Amino acid sequence: MNFEIEVNGRSRTVKIERTGSRYRIESDGRLDVVDVARVDRTTISMILLGERETSHEATLLEGREPGEVEVYLRSGVVRTLMAGAPGQRRWSAAGSVLGGPGGPQRITAPMPGKIVKVLVKPGDHVTARQGVVVIEAMKMENELRASRDGQVKDIHVAEGDLVDAGRLLAVIE
Amino acid sequence: MKVLIANRGEIAVRVIRACRELAIPTVAVYSDCDRASLHVRFADEAYAIGPSAPSESYLRIDKLIDVARRSGADAVHPGYGFLAENHGFARACRDAGLTFIGPSPEAMERMGSKTGARHVAIEAGVPVVPGTVEPLGPSVSDQEITRLAEQIGYPVFVKAVAGGGGKGMRLVTAPEDLASAVRAARSEAGSSFGDPHIYIERQLQFPRHIEIQLLADRFGHVVPFVERECSIQRRHQKVLEESPSVAVTAEIRAALASAACAVARAVGYTNAGTIEFLLDRDGRFYFLEMNTRLQVEHPITELVSGVDLVHWQLKIAQGERLTLDPEATLRPRGHAIDCRIYAEDPDNGFMPSPGRLLGRRVPGGPGIRRDDGGATPGLDVPIFYDPLLAKLSVWGGDREQAILRMSRALGEYEVRGIKTSIPFFRWLLDDDDFRQGRFDTTFLDRELARRNGTPFVSVPEEAEHIALLAAAIHAYEGAARGGAAKDAQKMLSRGWTVKGRLDGLR
Repeated sequence: MNFEIEVNGRSRTVKIERTGSRYRIESDGRLDVVDVARVDRTTISMILLGERETSHEATLLEGREPGEVEVYLRSGVVRTLMAGAPGQRRWSAAGSVLGGPGGPQRITAPMPGKIVKVLVKPGDHVTARQGVVVIEAMKMENELRASRDGQVKDIHVAEGDLVDAGRLLAVIE
Repeated sequence: MKVLIANRGEIAVRVIRACRELAIPTVAVYSDCDRASLHVRFADEAYAIGPSAPSESYLRIDKLIDVARRSGADAVHPGYGFLAENHGFARACRDAGLTFIGPSPEAMERMGSKTGARHVAIEAGVPVVPGTVEPLGPSVSDQEITRLAEQIGYPVFVKAVAGGGGKGMRLVTAPEDLASAVRAARSEAGSSFGDPHIYIERQLQFPRHIEIQLLADRFGHVVPFVERECSIQRRHQKVLEESPSVAVTAEIRAALASAACAVARAVGYTNAGTIEFLLDRDGRFYFLEMNTRLQVEHPITELVSGVDLVHWQLKIAQGERLTLDPEATLRPRGHAIDCRIYAEDPDNGFMPSPGRLLGRRVPGGPGIRRDDGGATPGLDVPIFYDPLLAKLSVWGGDREQAILRMSRALGEYEVRGIKTSIPFFRWLLDDDDFRQGRFDTTFLDRELARRNGTPFVSVPEEAEHIALLAAAIHAYEGAARGGAAKDAQKMLSRGWTVKGRLDGLR
């Protein structure tokens, strides 16, 4: 079987075959033979066969986007995207659906809370990681920052406002 | 005795466990979003107390007293946070004929005011951080405050008398910034604590935050424990604690312990409490404040002393005598460290990361203790409360072994569905200065500023390849099972609920 799988914004063609518990997987000009044992519904144990048989455990969970699968490994989470999943928004051509760049930056409230401070005003230039709005929630004040350089287009809240999760706070172009 | 636990999350579970060990029946209370939480499932009885907002449930004294009446509970454990240091609540319990598992409302009230507590310490002959002794009300002029600050010597902290957790607190390095800092601290103190009184304290240079846990019974016995080192703080919030401290010699320990006991005696303290000190580089220490409750970081004291503090809280409340040997409790038995695992994203300015816990793998093996919060797999980490997910504590024969164990345990720990501070702790435990014990209360904020946003989570390239293989295997199995990717996805989404249940049964 062949699949088109995107990992961290790079798409790869994967050829995979199974014999018993063993998989032969070709990708990136590399061949892996993997012995797979299922641990539970979401977790598999993989041993990469060869000179050195390395042991890996992976838990696979459905992500927010259609076709998105989050792979939890010992060293962290890797987001993967399966091409051709039903209901997929866009694929490959214009870049990844997984947090690709482009378009205005919309800063939204990650949780309900109170706006403690608005640090910029429309027209201001901001640099990546610069604070935009301070929101108080879960007993803490949190600074929401710009993810990249840009110019503040709109501010939709004022200091003292109570906001719901997901509320649009600011737009940066 | 039958105990109502006026709290939620890991501390409610902790108290229920102690009660169960002593065959004491337990009564839990819960807000709307906590219906399925661990503390509710653990308790013998559980009563709804209203909407999720704390002000409508966990902070409602009337509802809590009412549940005590309905359930026939005769004692109340406040945990920490919420009403734990509210003397009005302790008084309401006493008026309703309930035993409050903590100090008297009078002792609480006296120590709850920072200036009141400083008075007590001075009377007990314990040094305090240089600063004003009387609270400064809004009528005190800017000129007067400037004069006082000049006397104390810059840099100074302007602090709320009723403050805590870094709120209502401003650092001032130059006289011209004083007036605006006082205004800001007053307004924050007014809105957060309903009390605009402030006081001024000199900022000590490179202090360590060292605290002494103690237990006191009704017969005048006060037993101090080996110090806890709590200098690892982010924005004045403790994130990692250890016991003992590398900076405390046996001599300093004895002096700290006797100072702590003197303060407790001066205020007629009973039950569990903690006296916080600042320790400077020359080994001089100063009283900072008293926490009149069980603290978040109490497990490390339990690990190095072998004493169950909550058992003793319950026994003292029942009128028992302390039989612990104060010499034994001041002798460290190995080394313990705990990490406060928060549902927050260290790579996004430690932003809270509420949401559904989809699964986890928890550390185990030698020397590990885990105190889990209310959320277990399949449940949401609510947005309404402190986002503490769990406390991970380890014990080792010495500091080095404890650090190795903590690193290993953090490596085993995996939480799926929400972001946690685990990657941050993996970095911290690996930091050379931390490992050498070279730090003070300014260390972590300084280190984080120096990192300037370098991600804590960095997935190596090889892991990306492993993920690709796993995703391919997953896709293959999904396709082989019924052809349709739909089936695979259905299976996947059902998967975590099954896994969640399995984890819950463990």
